[in-house]
Amino acid sequence: MKTRILQSRQPRIRYANPRFQGPAVLAFAAIIATGGVIFWKLVDSQFQRVFLHTAIRGHYTFDSAYDIVRDLLSWHLAGLFFAVFLAGSVLVFFLVAATRDGIGKAVDSLRTSADGDLSTPTGTGSIGEFDRFGKKIDDTRSDTLTTVQMIRSEAAELAAGGMSPEEFRLRWDELKQRIRTIAP
Amino acid sequence: MSGPKAAGDGTLVQRRYVHGLLLRLCVNTAGGVGILFIILYFALSRPLHGDYAGVFHALRNLSPFLRPILAVSVLLYALLACGSTSALCIFILHKVAGPLYRMELVLDQYRSGAPTRTVSFRSGDQIQPLAHAFNHWIGSLRRDRHRWLATMMDAERHSLQDEATCRAEMEGALRKIAGDMAKYR
Repeated sequence: MKTRILQSRQPRIRYANPRFQGPAVLAFAAIIATGGVIFWKLVDSQFQRVFLHTAIRGHYTFDSAYDIVRDLLSWHLAGLFFAVFLAGSVLVFFLVAATRDGIGKAVDSLRTSADGDLSTPTGTGSIGEFDRFGKKIDDTRSDTLTTVQMIRSEAAELAAGGMSPEEFRLRWDELKQRIRTIAP
Repeated sequence: MSGPKAAGDGTLVQRRYVHGLLLRLCVNTAGGVGILFIILYFALSRPLHGDYAGVFHALRNLSPFLRPILAVSVLLYALLACGSTSALCIFILHKVAGPLYRMELVLDQYRSGAPTRTVSFRSGDQIQPLAHAFNHWIGSLRRDRHRWLATMMDAERHSLQDEATCRAEMEGALRKIAGDMAKYR
């Protein structure tokens, strides 16, 4: 029962993150649409020319229109495939490079945080989702640094002395409570 | 420790994952082009019957007839290819988007002051070093916190002794803690 309650409270991992997957989907759609439009324009103009030329030339040694444009169509379809696939591959490599760069910097930032550096900006770059994520990490580190610095100044102030034993005891207990809030 | 190289390029996004994505993209594109070919094949492969004049007129009239077919077939190709590629993007990229979303939730949880659990991603998820780095950072913070609390509790043990000794011990502990915290900048 307890386990079930714990499991239901655990945040679910969402499969779609529109801010990350949305632009990628749009970019792939743009590549496909552009390829389709170029194919349509090229094939349409060449079909018009080829059929007119064949009709005027005579010597009809074919059974269907497909026999006339077979090679032309094959080349254009092959061109469409390679163009869309190559452009898509470039986009995939760009996405992978952006992920490696953005997340790599976030990982480096967290590693340096473990050594005590909580103020150097993550610098995840200008790509929307990674930039936002980097800023979120920076905000988290900044919050931690503020808490630690407040505790430190309070500890230094208490260590300097010059206060009544009652006040000292009260602030000592408060300081202990505040330390407990670090990485709960 | 500067730049993404330090994070370990190989493990952030696995090569196998990239190859899988490219392979699926290739199959998707080939499928779309294949469908376009089938539509155009059926539209163009109707036999041209009749005598010389009949074939001549059929060829002359083919161009205006082909234009809408070509437009519709390209539109169908674009819709099918866009649909399947969008599905591919959503289901393949969730291995990066999912962990990123999870980390955002964990960071929000941490900032709200709620207890933070060890972060772990699903098997097969990319950007695993992010979870390890975050756990390492939180782990080091917790170790420091335990040490500071232990130092304070150690000083409190002198409370049974006289007031001056106890106060001196406590002030010494506070100086030690303040010095220890100086590493955070």
